[in-house]
Amino acid sequence: MTQTAVRMRTFVQALNEALDLAMERDPHVYLIGEDIGEMGGDFGVTRGLWAKYGEARVRDTPLSEAAIIGTAVGSAMMGFRPVAEIMFADFLGECYDQLVNNAAKMHYMFDGQFKAPIVVRTACGGGFGGGPHHSQSVEGWFLNVPGLVIVAPSTPADAKGLLLASIENDNPILFLEHKALYRIKGEVPEGYYTTPLRKAAVVREGKDVTIVAAMKMVHEALAAAAELEQEGVSAEVIDLRTIRPYDAETVVGSVRKTGRAVVVNEAPKIGGLASELSALIGEECFYDLKAPVVRVAGLDAPIPFSLALEKIILPDKEKVIEGVRSVMK
Amino acid sequence: MALDIETLVDLYRDMWLIRAFEFGLEREFKKGNVPGMLHTGVGQEATQAALAAHLKATDAFFPDHRCHGINALAEEKHQGDGERIMAELFGRATGVCSGKGGSLHSANPKVGNFGDNAVEGSYMATVLGVALAFQMRGQPNVACCIIGDGTVGRGEFHESLNMAAIWKLPVFYACVNNGYAISTPVGKAHASADIVDLARGYGFPCEQVDGNDIEAAYEAVQKAVEHIRAGQGPYFLEFKTWRWQGIFSGEFRPPEEVRYWKEERDPIKLARQKILERGSLSAADLDRIEAEVKAQIEEWIEFAKASPPPDPAKATADVYVGW
Ligand SMILES: Cc1ncc(C[n+]2csc(CCOP(=O)(O)OP(=O)(O)O)c2C)c(N)n1
Ligand SMILES: [Mg+2]
Repeated sequence: MTQTAVRMRTFVQALNEALDLAMERDPHVYLIGEDIGEMGGDFGVTRGLWAKYGEARVRDTPLSEAAIIGTAVGSAMMGFRPVAEIMFADFLGECYDQLVNNAAKMHYMFDGQFKAPIVVRTACGGGFGGGPHHSQSVEGWFLNVPGLVIVAPSTPADAKGLLLASIENDNPILFLEHKALYRIKGEVPEGYYTTPLRKAAVVREGKDVTIVAAMKMVHEALAAAAELEQEGVSAEVIDLRTIRPYDAETVVGSVRKTGRAVVVNEAPKIGGLASELSALIGEECFYDLKAPVVRVAGLDAPIPFSLALEKIILPDKEKVIEGVRSVMK
Repeated sequence: MALDIETLVDLYRDMWLIRAFEFGLEREFKKGNVPGMLHTGVGQEATQAALAAHLKATDAFFPDHRCHGINALAEEKHQGDGERIMAELFGRATGVCSGKGGSLHSANPKVGNFGDNAVEGSYMATVLGVALAFQMRGQPNVACCIIGDGTVGRGEFHESLNMAAIWKLPVFYACVNNGYAISTPVGKAHASADIVDLARGYGFPCEQVDGNDIEAAYEAVQKAVEHIRAGQGPYFLEFKTWRWQGIFSGEFRPPEEVRYWKEERDPIKLARQKILERGSLSAADLDRIEAEVKAQIEEWIEFAKASPPPDPAKATADVYVGW
């Protein structure tokens, strides 16, 4: 392997680099979405690409989410590799049909004759007073959809490597970008590289309890683990990275080792990622468990505007610590 | 302008193929040999034959739920095996999608068939991307979506026509206005019973044609595809027609309306009169064409029935590409 320089970059810069590298490398890659052109996107992820690649490959659209994803899917059927931006994940309902009934099923229902290699990037997650329609964690909406891939990075380096891997991949991919992570900085290798899909990362090793999380919740889990260490609790933290199809092997292997599991997810508990992982662990690790699995998840309510109320709804470091303490009893 | 007699006779034969296909299928459906739901294109043969005649294998079309006939014609014309559409509807291994798609999801990219989507009209959005691909590659091809009058109620109708207009995409909107969406009359569902009125605001050519007159339909489609192939952007064509099938199998429309369309406006009967008026073919000649096509359909049905069900491994195959 060639030695590549590692620089400090924000999550947004890392995503931007990935898009740039993918477009440079493959003329079939193009971008489509609202205000992604000259403006560079609501969060600046596509900044500079319109000037570099032109408006044919960085395509601004009207507020037409179904048409954005429909266009992406149709062109992908023809061999292009579109990367679409849906400004906020909350708007995915507008193109749900295109993703769920069209992109995700196409390869299967047409017996492998078509594929839909699209990447749909979208900003998700709460914690900033965005209110009920700009704060949701939507992975649960798509968890039950065979054929769809859900990728969810937590660090700038993974954001770049996973985005490049997603663009290379032949499946339709929902690429979740948590808004609270956009401005974080981390080490990002220079140049083109991919981070494997369907592979979780053990981001902290421990022996007493396994904490499984994704996106922003990985950071809450790591902060919780650091504090728990002061109490003498050694927590292992797993960053899922691909939410569907997820890396069951890494999760199960870790829980078999530690004997305790806390699963963390920002979305409501019912029918969400935390519930899915909890069921997996119950099924696969029942006889290894020293305590029942605990789900630390969003409360069963929409996300309110007031920061004081939002804090009550969303999981955070304190709630993760509480969860771990309860399985350590 | 009158069509030359060879073309007219070919279209007559294609119209009979569509009708025989649907009648044969309906018979087998009633016997329980065809699973699922069945929507037929009987009554709309002139519209369908005109579309099939002008679409090339290198074009792309998204068929609707009544397009078995177009699918079979495309298969026959470009691959020589229309029976694979029949087998698909029977859910057999020899079908175009190995029986995984059925009536509402038959596709074959080799003949330009990009597949129906049973969420009616979703491909009004998808067609944009196919058209964009043609445009980006500079290919003079047509991306056609076939939509019913009811389907025009989808929000995607606006999103699609608007985006096709601003990007001048090579999209051909073929709107089959057969008067009803299940039980709802077109005039009750839309601000205008003439769908073309709804399309005009987007600023590209929009025409209406008698969808039961094969000559008029053929020429209207020709004009549309020529416009699109010349790089002049989208085109909207509304075919005024009527489907013989009521709600699934029940009839709910006024008896006089049913009589009028079946007796006075039957597209096949009208085409037959036109051909006979030209004088070069006899009634016996036309009867022979009809009998040949019907025999062929029976062979297709036999082929489908004799075909095995899909390999059980297909049940979970191809959920993901490469995984
Ligand atoms: C989005 C969606 N809504 C409803 C249906 C149920 N449905 C199937 S066919 C149909 C009527 C369609 O009417 P039209 O487009 O006029 O086609 P026609 O059957 O008359 O040819 C409806 C409502 C569906 N399949 N998809
Ligand atoms: Mg109708």
